[in-house]
Amino acid sequence: MLFHAEPGPASLTDTNVTVNSTPAKHVFYRFFRRVPMPVISILVGLAVGLAVWGVLDRIQGQAIKKIADKELQTQLDRQARESLIRFDQYLKNYVTTVRLLANHRSLAEYLEPRFWLPQKAPKPIVYRESPPSWLNDFIKRNALSVHSHILLVDTRGHIREVYQSGNMELPQALNQGVGEKLMDAGKVRTVVTRLDGWPYLLVSDVAEDMDGYRMGNLVMVVPINDTFLAASQRGLSSVHAAVALVDVDEQQILASIDPELLSPGTRLSEWRDLYLITTRPLPEYGGTDWNLLFATFIPHHSVKKMSSRVRNFERQQRVRAAFAYILVFTLVIYLVSARLNKVLKRMVGFSRRALGIEHPGFKRGANQLVLLDEWSQHFAQLVLKAREEMSRKHAIEMRASEALKAAIMEASLDSIVTLNRKGEIIDLNPTAERTLALTRDQAIGGSFSKLFLAADGRRHFLGLLKDSRRARREGRISQARGQLTARRADGSEFPVELSIVPIQLNDRSFYTIYMHDITNRKEAEQEIKSLARFAGESPNPILRVNPSGLVVYANTAGAPLLAAWGTQEGDLLPAEQTEEVGKALEGEHSIERETTIGNQIYSLLFTPIRELGYVNIYGRDITAVRHAEQEARRHQADLVHVCRLSTMGEVATGMAHELNQPLAAIVNFANGCSRRLQSNLGQRQALVDAMGQIATQAQRAGEIIRRLRALVGKQPPIRSEVDLNHLVREVHSFVEFDAGKMDCTIELDLEPGGISVDVDLVQIEQVLLNLVRNALDALQEVPPTARHLVVRTRSVGDAAEVVVQDSGPGIEPERMQSLFEPFFTTKVSGMGMGLPISQTILQDHGGSIRAESVPHGGAVFLIRLPVAPTVQPSLAAVG
Amino acid sequence: MNSEPTRTVFVVDDDQAMRSSLKWLIESIGMQVKTYGSADEFLNSYFPGRAGCLLLDVRMPGMSGLELQAHLARDDSRLPIIIITGHGDVSMAVKAMKSGAVDFIEKPFHDEDLLTSIRNALEFDEKQRVLQSQRAEIALRLATLTPREHEVMDMVTDGRANKEIATVLGVSAKTVEAHRARVMDKMRARSLAQLVRMVLVAGGNLQSP
Ligand SMILES: Nc1ncnc2c1ncn2[C@@H]1O[C@H](COP(=O)(O)OP(=O)(O)O)[C@@H](O)[C@H]1O
Ligand SMILES: [Mg+2]
Repeated sequence: MLFHAEPGPASLTDTNVTVNSTPAKHVFYRFFRRVPMPVISILVGLAVGLAVWGVLDRIQGQAIKKIADKELQTQLDRQARESLIRFDQYLKNYVTTVRLLANHRSLAEYLEPRFWLPQKAPKPIVYRESPPSWLNDFIKRNALSVHSHILLVDTRGHIREVYQSGNMELPQALNQGVGEKLMDAGKVRTVVTRLDGWPYLLVSDVAEDMDGYRMGNLVMVVPINDTFLAASQRGLSSVHAAVALVDVDEQQILASIDPELLSPGTRLSEWRDLYLITTRPLPEYGGTDWNLLFATFIPHHSVKKMSSRVRNFERQQRVRAAFAYILVFTLVIYLVSARLNKVLKRMVGFSRRALGIEHPGFKRGANQLVLLDEWSQHFAQLVLKAREEMSRKHAIEMRASEALKAAIMEASLDSIVTLNRKGEIIDLNPTAERTLALTRDQAIGGSFSKLFLAADGRRHFLGLLKDSRRARREGRISQARGQLTARRADGSEFPVELSIVPIQLNDRSFYTIYMHDITNRKEAEQEIKSLARFAGESPNPILRVNPSGLVVYANTAGAPLLAAWGTQEGDLLPAEQTEEVGKALEGEHSIERETTIGNQIYSLLFTPIRELGYVNIYGRDITAVRHAEQEARRHQADLVHVCRLSTMGEVATGMAHELNQPLAAIVNFANGCSRRLQSNLGQRQALVDAMGQIATQAQRAGEIIRRLRALVGKQPPIRSEVDLNHLVREVHSFVEFDAGKMDCTIELDLEPGGISVDVDLVQIEQVLLNLVRNALDALQEVPPTARHLVVRTRSVGDAAEVVVQDSGPGIEPERMQSLFEPFFTTKVSGMGMGLPISQTILQDHGGSIRAESVPHGGAVFLIRLPVAPTVQPSLAAVG
Repeated sequence: MNSEPTRTVFVVDDDQAMRSSLKWLIESIGMQVKTYGSADEFLNSYFPGRAGCLLLDVRMPGMSGLELQAHLARDDSRLPIIIITGHGDVSMAVKAMKSGAVDFIEKPFHDEDLLTSIRNALEFDEKQRVLQSQRAEIALRLATLTPREHEVMDMVTDGRANKEIATVLGVSAKTVEAHRARVMDKMRARSLAQLVRMVLVAGGNLQSP
């Protein structure tokens, strides 16, 4: 729609010029535009491939050379080691041969008849062409391939017989005999040594005759020369490698595999230019003091050939890699450009259809990428223009809607508050300012929940925010409603109904909160609700009767009453009640009557409602109350009795006083008599009368004692289930007067609902009475204003607890232990039996008593009793 | 010990046996005993000036012993009171003693203790009585003195010489001498010492002459 308002779309070629700024760039660009994409891709692919190859060649060549050299070195090492091992192996063959020969039967047989006289320089027998008989067939078959000699020497080392296999003479050095080194008995000895300046291998073993007599040794002497070395290296596929034995000290070649190439006697250094030389030390052969090296010679040119072969192979691989790279790269670019082409076409189509831009004039042979770029710039400009237009329009609309919104906000009777994501106030309408008693400036930026909500509602509010967000996410009507308590700036609170609307603007979240004061509504609701339930819910009978005695209304609890009167809702009351109704209507005040129905006693309150001409009758079942009163009266008598019994201290003092009277009278009478008798004054009759008085007074004393005994006498305890609170209240009523006299009120803090216990009530009351009495006694010692006494009952798990706490002087720690001992008292007229008796009583009941004292804070006595297993509501209600 | 028949031991006790036993005991030494069952009964028949002593039980229903004591003190009765207490009533006894009782005795008591106490009380009463009558006599004589004679007597008993008195009163020593002689005569004092004693008794400063 919008784009049609635009002047015609500019042609694509127009914009071309603006894109290219410099002439050089222009030329390049011209060329670039013409070349089709696949060609460019191939060109680029080639260039990149070549570059990659070139770089790889440089970098890899060196790396490969390094690797190849290393590889070569290890190969050479391996070859050298192999050569040496072969050499060694070859050497060992000789040892085996010597052992075989020395221990062969033919030698032993040969030596059997022989005996070598010890001589200074015996002339040895030399065998040349044919081997001697002591050499067995083995030698004949495996003719020693080198010019070796086999000697028989006597025990002193003098040579006795020699077998010479080739045409080489025995070295001169041996003419004087073989050295001691070789003559070790019982062991094959191998020695590489220098004889006449050349290296020789000497292997020797003991030679014995048939009887095991040691004749001497069999020694094989082998020159280590080219033949020896060649034989040792036979079968090894050497890469043009030569081996040689080198003297370490002189660095001189002693023997080589090819004396024509490496002539013995030359120095090792002379060959370094031609060969790559690897040397290894020769294993030490029995007692040799000659340091020898085993050297492997490999000509340099063969080494070079080897490494260049490796390098060529590598290069081939690289070329292949570069080629594959070019191929893949070109293909990918080609595919991408083809795809781009398609996109371009589709976009062009779209632009023509939707935006009216002309065909950019793509030719098949042009560079699609460049064209696309040009076209897209053009497109972007158009879109930009359109967007500006749109935003201008939008701004105008926005301003209008803002004004409207502001007006609505202002006029709204509800408080409207806008919060940001963090819950801070960013806007509020005048109603909100008024309702919350806070000015705009004060409110903005503050946290809504902290400023305007009562502390207990904040969580609820956060919950509502969350709900609203969730609702919006789930696409429901994004609103959360709830009732909360709001708070004004002055701290006063009032109920509100909240509705939260979350708003999402440019990825920022806001909440708009609509708040309606519902104080009046709440109150009204409450009022109506409570009124409506009034009568119906009452557990007591409530009736409404008109002046003629017709029952207009009766609640559920009233049913038994109506039944007893033989009437029902809509019928007439009995005459007696109707009469009361009449009286109530005449009089000013309500009339109260009591009536007995069956076992129940009801109190009936006739309340006239003159405006409506009705009388309301409020019934109340007072059976329990009456029973409780009777019970209490009976019980009180019991208690008074036991109280006298328990407070034996007081009883005893009274009794002592009473007993004093007759005793003093008796004493007086008696003394009077004796005086008269002494002074012979008294008349007979008077004396007799006095004696009679004595007797009477004695009887009187006896009577007192009998009474005392009766008073202290035990009664069988009776257990019954009773509310502990009831006992406390009763005890309270007994001491109320005494406490009042000393300006002390007793505070009762009783477990609501009562605690049922199974006890002998008289005894437990006695205990309680003693505790309260003790407390009152203690309170006598502090000024009246400081007298506090609390009796508390609590149900703690299975136990019922009574705590008697006073603000008296407390109990000194050292007296604590003695409290429950009989006759411990600190009072002038005290007996000290109250607490011990209490303890006994509680133990009888499976309970306990405990005293605590807070210094200067009074004393605390704590009683525990097991609660009765079942609570009987009728008894609990007695309290 | 002079036991005149007019002197009576009054016994007030609520206990009948106690009353009759006390009467029996005290009469055994020949004294006259009158018993009363309550404080009121006693007050009804009593008039001040009766000689004797009062044996009083502190613990009584109605008016208690202490109350009766206070009552008598108000009536200016000088009847000596012996308090009888029961066991443990020590605090009451102390109170009674502070209010002027002559003795207290605890039940049950030794007859000798009681009788001694009674005798002492009666003796005390006797002395009180004598003093009382002397005081009345002196008062009568004092009444006959003229004011000037009274003045002179005061100064004489103060130990001043005649001359000194004359200077003070502005009269001659002879006149003072005359006044003095008349005072001695009217007071029936045989010596100055006797006159001084009389003045002391009349002022209530002396318990017994
Ligand atoms: N509430 C209390 N405050 C201080 N002392 C107390 C309290 N209760 C009891 N006592 C101490 O325990 C003593 C023994 O008490 P009790 O056994 O009842 O005998 P009594 O009747 O002689 O007081 C009392 O004499 C008193 O010293
Ligand atoms: Mg007690």
